[in-house]
Amino acid sequence: MSIDWITIGAQIVNFLVLIWLLKKFLYRPILDGIDAREAEISERMGEAAAVRTSAEVKEAEYKAQIAELSASRAEMLENARRKAEDERDALLAETRARLEKEQAEREARRGEEARAFTEDLHQNGAQALLDLTRKALADLADETLEQRIALHAAGQLKNMADNLRDAAGDRHDATVLTRDPLPTDVQDRLRDELAAILPDFTLRFDTDPGLSPGLNLRLGGAQVGWTTDSYLSGLDAVLEDRVGRPIRKGLTDAA
Amino acid sequence: MQLTPDDSILFTLLGLPVNATIFNTWIIMAVLAGVAALITRNLRPDVPPNRWRTALEVTVNGIVSQIAEITGRHDPRVLYFSGTLFLFIVTANLLTAVPGFDTPTASLSTTVALALSVVIAVPMFGIGSRGIMGYLRTYIEPSIIMLPFNIISEFSRGISLAIRLYGNIMSGAVIAAILLGVAPFFFPVVMNMLGLLTGVIQAYIFAILATVYISSATAVPSASDTSETTKETP
Repeated sequence: MSIDWITIGAQIVNFLVLIWLLKKFLYRPILDGIDAREAEISERMGEAAAVRTSAEVKEAEYKAQIAELSASRAEMLENARRKAEDERDALLAETRARLEKEQAEREARRGEEARAFTEDLHQNGAQALLDLTRKALADLADETLEQRIALHAAGQLKNMADNLRDAAGDRHDATVLTRDPLPTDVQDRLRDELAAILPDFTLRFDTDPGLSPGLNLRLGGAQVGWTTDSYLSGLDAVLEDRVGRPIRKGLTDAA
Repeated sequence: MQLTPDDSILFTLLGLPVNATIFNTWIIMAVLAGVAALITRNLRPDVPPNRWRTALEVTVNGIVSQIAEITGRHDPRVLYFSGTLFLFIVTANLLTAVPGFDTPTASLSTTVALALSVVIAVPMFGIGSRGIMGYLRTYIEPSIIMLPFNIISEFSRGISLAIRLYGNIMSGAVIAAILLGVAPFFFPVVMNMLGLLTGVIQAYIFAILATVYISSATAVPSASDTSETTKETP
């Protein structure tokens, strides 16, 4: 058993070097790795706890929302039903108003068409009536309507002498207005008849295309007429009474 | 029969003779450092630990927990010192099973060197912890009469450490060698197994005692704590 001091010194140095080597390659890496892993695990556990807390908060929020939705479900359904009814009523009212407006427009249009038809019928009827009368007089009596009216008026003057004299007052002129010029013999007949009852009167003949077939006698401020206007006015009543109803029924059927 | 590997000079380096003790110590250092570097080279937190890394972690954690049980605190410097003592001695003792390998711990020079390291390290740890006056005051406690006894105790610790380890390992190696000559079958195997167990136990005892000495030198005694915290083993 001997001691070699050189070996002792070398072994002390070797031991110190081994301490340094193991510190560098064993202890520090292992301890640092353990610390890092512990820190990472702690961090992950912290994150997991945070996520869990967040999830629990979310869960509580959703549960509260579900409870709130369940509680307000009946109210929401009632509101929705009421809103649907209001919208339905509004749509019905709007449709009804539109239909009434369209119906009123159709009524107005139909009334206008009826009025235009009646007026056209009146005019055509009156013209046809006059044409037929003229043709009947021409064919059967060889006279015109205006001549016949003028001769009829000449025959009436005697019966109206007092009334004509009173109407003339202090005037001494008279005017005969017709739509078309009267034949000369008719004019002479009228002049003679008027001279017989009113000798100091001068008679003048004049025409007006706007007049109805017939004759108007003006004496001062008075006027006596023998025209077809009154007869044609009666045609309106006849058309409304006899023709108007079928015409309106036809228009209603067409609408 | 050669009792110590110090006598086996392998080669000369820079004019100094390199015997088997020193050379085999280098081999053990290379094995320890190489294995540690190999296992911890890709050590990152995001890489799952493999079985080798886990084994190292278990070993280092075991050493740390043993030191913490003795000292009551975590001191990395004690880990470096005592841990290296344990790993070196246990590796050297386990390598006695390798035929032809003369373990350095069977050399009294090695055990003396390790014991000297402990004898030097203890006052250094004590001075680092208590200050030089605080550490020197421990030699005259509880009375100045105890000064020579404390000094003798300090050196006797080192001597006992060195002789205990050397005696156990060297005797085991010698007995195995003798039995190999007497009964080459069976008995050497049993003795080798017993020697491995003894080697591990001796490594543990050496490191634990060194830690206890360091702990007693660094612990700040309370007013009621007047008892000696060190313990001796036969």
